[in-house]
Amino acid sequence: MEESHSAAFKPAIIEGSILLDAPSTEQQELFTQKLQQCCMLFDFFDSVIDLKSKEIKRATLNELVDYVSTNRGVLVESTYPEITNMICTNIFRTLPPSENPDFDPEEDEPTLEASWPHMHLVYEFLLRFLENPDFQPSIAKRYIDQKFVLQLLELFDSEDPRERDFLKTILHRIYGKFLGLRAFIRKQINNIFLRFIYETEHFNGVAELLEILGSIINGFALPLKAEHKQFLMKVLIPLHTAKGLALFHAQLAYCVVQFLEKDPTLTEPVIRGLLKFWPKTCSQKEVMFLGEIEEILDVIEPTQFKKIQEPLFKQISKCVANPHFQVAERALYFWNNEYILSLIEENIDKILPIMFGSLYRISKEHWNPTIVALVYNVLKTLMEMNCTLFDELTSSYKADRQREKKKEQERDELWKKLDELRLSDTTLVQNNSHGLLSVQNNNNNNNNSNNNNNNDNQDKSIDSAAAVTTDDKEPDVSVAASESTPCAK
Amino acid sequence: MDAFKLMKELRVNYEQEVQYLPKETGLSLIESTTQDDSRISAKCRDAKVEDLWSLTSFFGYSTQTFVLAVNLLDRFLAMMRIQPKHLSCVSLSCLHMAAKVTEEECNLTPTDELIRIGQCRFTVSDLSRMEKIVAEKLNFKSKAITALTFLHLYHQITLTHSTDRKEKLNLEKLEAQLKACLCRISFSKAKPSVLALSLLRQEIEAVQSEDMLEIASHIQRHLKIADGELLLWSERVAQCLSDYASPECSKPNHRKLQWIVSRRTAQNLHTYRSVPELPTIPEGCWDESESEDSCEDMMSSGEESLSSSLGSDAEGPFFPLHFRCQKHRQHLRQHLHA
Repeated sequence: MEESHSAAFKPAIIEGSILLDAPSTEQQELFTQKLQQCCMLFDFFDSVIDLKSKEIKRATLNELVDYVSTNRGVLVESTYPEITNMICTNIFRTLPPSENPDFDPEEDEPTLEASWPHMHLVYEFLLRFLENPDFQPSIAKRYIDQKFVLQLLELFDSEDPRERDFLKTILHRIYGKFLGLRAFIRKQINNIFLRFIYETEHFNGVAELLEILGSIINGFALPLKAEHKQFLMKVLIPLHTAKGLALFHAQLAYCVVQFLEKDPTLTEPVIRGLLKFWPKTCSQKEVMFLGEIEEILDVIEPTQFKKIQEPLFKQISKCVANPHFQVAERALYFWNNEYILSLIEENIDKILPIMFGSLYRISKEHWNPTIVALVYNVLKTLMEMNCTLFDELTSSYKADRQREKKKEQERDELWKKLDELRLSDTTLVQNNSHGLLSVQNNNNNNNNSNNNNNNDNQDKSIDSAAAVTTDDKEPDVSVAASESTPCAK
Repeated sequence: MDAFKLMKELRVNYEQEVQYLPKETGLSLIESTTQDDSRISAKCRDAKVEDLWSLTSFFGYSTQTFVLAVNLLDRFLAMMRIQPKHLSCVSLSCLHMAAKVTEEECNLTPTDELIRIGQCRFTVSDLSRMEKIVAEKLNFKSKAITALTFLHLYHQITLTHSTDRKEKLNLEKLEAQLKACLCRISFSKAKPSVLALSLLRQEIEAVQSEDMLEIASHIQRHLKIADGELLLWSERVAQCLSDYASPECSKPNHRKLQWIVSRRTAQNLHTYRSVPELPTIPEGCWDESESEDSCEDMMSSGEESLSSSLGSDAEGPFFPLHFRCQKHRQHLRQHLHA
């Protein structure tokens, strides 16, 4: 149906004929007429034009909503095409480009739909239509088909959250009632997400679609179909890498947890997937990931926990030491969760060695006093779980620190000695630059070794320093080097 | 130090140790008290000593500090009746006093930090007042001769006498075991020399060294420690250590700990527990066979992998339909607002 010019809208036709008051023989005809009239669209960008007509359409739409909600027997077969036509005409449109080209959904106010006074009633009407007890999917499927669904899905990119909210509920009902469209809907949502992740990084309706998916996942039959498992690993997990994760993380986490409740054997690939995509530079995201991990741990089976405990706690051990206090806090707060504590307890011999070093180090070094207090709680809890292991780790940690300190001291002393040597042998520079050059080279070797290599190589370089500089002309250096060699062991 | 000097020092300490023993009657009184709010019981003293152990460990204080702190605490509790609500303040004062004696000044944790980490309710000035009271009551005898003193001496003696270099007792392990014993008030009744010797003997028996057993007996004779007394405490020590070393974990009493987080973290903690609004849509076995509606679209290239599940899985077993549908029809019947 074409848009008629607004001036041609003849309110006089309908004025006075309220649908519900009409005799039942005429209701049908009236209903159709009103539906057709509502196919006329108005320009809401202009706030002064056609005010009367807009009001009449609004009142009409209201009537239609009531009519479909309260009456039985109004949905005869012939009304279906009229209804869907009116809906399609009103809501299916190309969404305007955002007024703000740099629209940031987290920061900026969204651009709202101008024609909302009419549009929300149309959406309301569609919803009541779908929920009407007389609604017959077998008839409706001729009109609510793949094309309809495709257009509906495109609207999810609307900036107006009210519109998306309606769309969410509507699509949910359609998925529920139209069995024949389910696979198609799932596939299209797949495509939208994949495009979002890998191509555009822009889509406003991710949260709403995920909410619908949550209710679908919740209803999956067991055993899970391969299609669904692939969706989890190929779409939902990579979705965690999106920049705007904050907008839909709650819904995404819910979906993931639902999957794991359905099929616990998915735990290992899911957690490994999350660890693979663990945020490295965005602390806000890291906090979200930690929240999701806690939710997953809340429902995890002990046997599954054993499979992922080591890589997981290695990551957690890094998180607790993170200088961003929110990340550290969130990670430490895991120890306030009774179920997680019981899992840790069962596997304390594997977990405590992983966590110990970080915790002990940050108890001394972290700048944030709240974190230090939380670390105390965690260490105390771990200590109560297994005193002996804790004591062993404490003493070996202390021993390591002693060794490191000693090595540091020795390095310092060697540098000092070499420095003194250089100062005292300035005269030798003129006489024998070759000898000093060899010392310089060894300095450089030492330098590189210190930075890159482990203790063994360092020992070797000290040895080589001793070896090269056993030169007649440099008796002091060789004495110094040979003195230091045994200590380095 | 040579063997002779060590033995002499041992003797001297042995003679003086009794000055630093907490009053036995006082300790017995605590042991016999049942848990109530007006008196300290053994259980609350033990819990407090465990807290001190955690704090010692956390702040990197030495075992000496801990052992000394427990000694001061027990001596004070054995002579003064205090209310349980003051126990935190007393114990922390003892720890601080012990740290001042033992630790280097640069390693001393300031009192406000002690109080904050210990999650205590009193102030810094409360703590310093309590320190003065404790010091006064103990006649300013802050440097005590403790079981650790003896343990160190015994260990040195074994080193000098031991012919076989391979068999060395691990001093750190002994210290850890001593700490475990001190967490039970009953061990404060033992004479430090006897307690330390019991620990030594336990460890010697564990490594099964005949030589060292000989040395231990030598020490016992030198100090004239009665067999009966040594046996009594050895048994108790054995019991305590078997509990300490058992692989069974004790359920941590973390409810006592306060978990304070920043406001922002606290806000975010609860956003995830929201209940979803949309009712569940159960999947049926017929879902995949609506091919007449969707097959044209399904076969486009490159996208098969995601939805090509027609076939094998569609016939798999699943929860009986009526079981799931009943539950979910209830949801669907509820009229939800958009």
